[in-house]
Amino acid sequence: MEGRPTLSDSSKPLLTVRMEQRVGTVALDVRFALTEPWTVLFGPSGSGKTTVLRAIAGFVRPDAGSIARGERVLVDRASDIFVPAHRRPVRSAGQTARLFPNMTVRENAIYGNGWTSKLQDAIEIAEQVMGLFRLKELADRMPHHLSGGERQRVSVARAVVSAITYTGPGTALLLLDEPFSGLDHAVRDDLLTELREWLVRWKTPVLSVTHDVGEAFQLGAEVIKIANGRVVQQGPVSEVLCDERLRLMGQLRAETSLDT
Amino acid sequence: MDFEALWLTLRLALGTTAILLVIALPLAWWIASGRGVTRALVQAVVALPLVLPPTVLGFYLLVAMGPLTAPGRLLIRLLGHPLAFSFAGLLVGSVLYSLPFAVQPLVAGFHAVDRGFIEAAAGLGAAPAKVFLSVVLPMTSASLLTSAILAFTHTVGEFGVVLMLGGNIPGATRTLSISLYDLVQDGNYQAANRTALVLMAFAMAALLVIYLLPGMRKTDGRQADVVR
Repeated sequence: MEGRPTLSDSSKPLLTVRMEQRVGTVALDVRFALTEPWTVLFGPSGSGKTTVLRAIAGFVRPDAGSIARGERVLVDRASDIFVPAHRRPVRSAGQTARLFPNMTVRENAIYGNGWTSKLQDAIEIAEQVMGLFRLKELADRMPHHLSGGERQRVSVARAVVSAITYTGPGTALLLLDEPFSGLDHAVRDDLLTELREWLVRWKTPVLSVTHDVGEAFQLGAEVIKIANGRVVQQGPVSEVLCDERLRLMGQLRAETSLDT
Repeated sequence: MDFEALWLTLRLALGTTAILLVIALPLAWWIASGRGVTRALVQAVVALPLVLPPTVLGFYLLVAMGPLTAPGRLLIRLLGHPLAFSFAGLLVGSVLYSLPFAVQPLVAGFHAVDRGFIEAAAGLGAAPAKVFLSVVLPMTSASLLTSAILAFTHTVGEFGVVLMLGGNIPGATRTLSISLYDLVQDGNYQAANRTALVLMAFAMAALLVIYLLPGMRKTDGRQADVVR
């Protein structure tokens, strides 16, 4: 796609994944490389998208394969390398919002950076991100006073703050599992555009999981399509999802011609 | 009423509780954060004082601390006096005897913490120590309090270990429960009654605290994140 912002001058992938894993009845065998600032894992439920995300985050140990963030190996079963989650240049928000019940929204938002020397910077960034996620008025509330959608927003905002304020070498990869499922579409559309600009400005690449075609289009994201535990297609959203539509149309036509 | 014994009992219980919390927190966290043969074995050893006659524990400790064994002799040389029949020896015995009462509520509390919170924190880059202190402990504060109160009250009530290990030395090893036994032996039922009443009132008050605290009846934050 023309004019797409990139995160690095080199063409080295931001992340390379090659993993095998049995999940229930599905045998995952997934290989892909991330090169674009925002990539979406797309596929039917039960296709193993969340498992891939959890393996990159460090919560799941793949049965075989390796995962590397740029040059840095995070997992390699062959040479028995496994970097624990908190040491990975990766930040994540799960599908369910797990807000720490003993902390306010603001405290939750800065949790991922609470103990570094540049606390003031983190607080400032957290304030801005909370504004972006329309959470300013809720900043001093406790999680049990929030609605489900509000919690979801805090959970994603918290991960965004944590990724932006990442202090290790390089930048953190942000992993988001169905991050905007709790938002109504009007709010979501504004938020997505702004968030994307933000994260590109902070050179923070994102890998998210979604069911929502609209979301992928809005982000102008690279799409990785997973089906039956395998990557079946990867490319710009217009391409992949256009093919998807053509395939569905073809299927529909075939079915109708059989009927007549 | 033997105030010297009361004071000694309180000192022993406080010291035991403090030491136990330092030992029990990491131990319970380790037990709760996985499974396997080693963990099962450690759990069984920790629970042993629950079923073992206190005199058995007292006897082994007495032998281990005395001049009959190599570690005992080493201990005597290091300290300049035997650990048995001293306040310090009593402290060691009490810690072992009350260990399950401190560890088990914590293990149960840690088990009840949703793994999702721990993953969420790790996914934000928090190291295990930070996760434990800032997320797990606040969610299990009720278990921590239960653990401390049980360790304290159980130490106040111990008898067999204290008798075997401490003898009955006023000001050093004679606790309230031993003093009560002495009073009964002497036929001084009035004084015995007062001592018994103090021990009884104390135990009742401690249990009342456990059941009255708001956090103990409802959730202690564990379920606060469930959508209303």
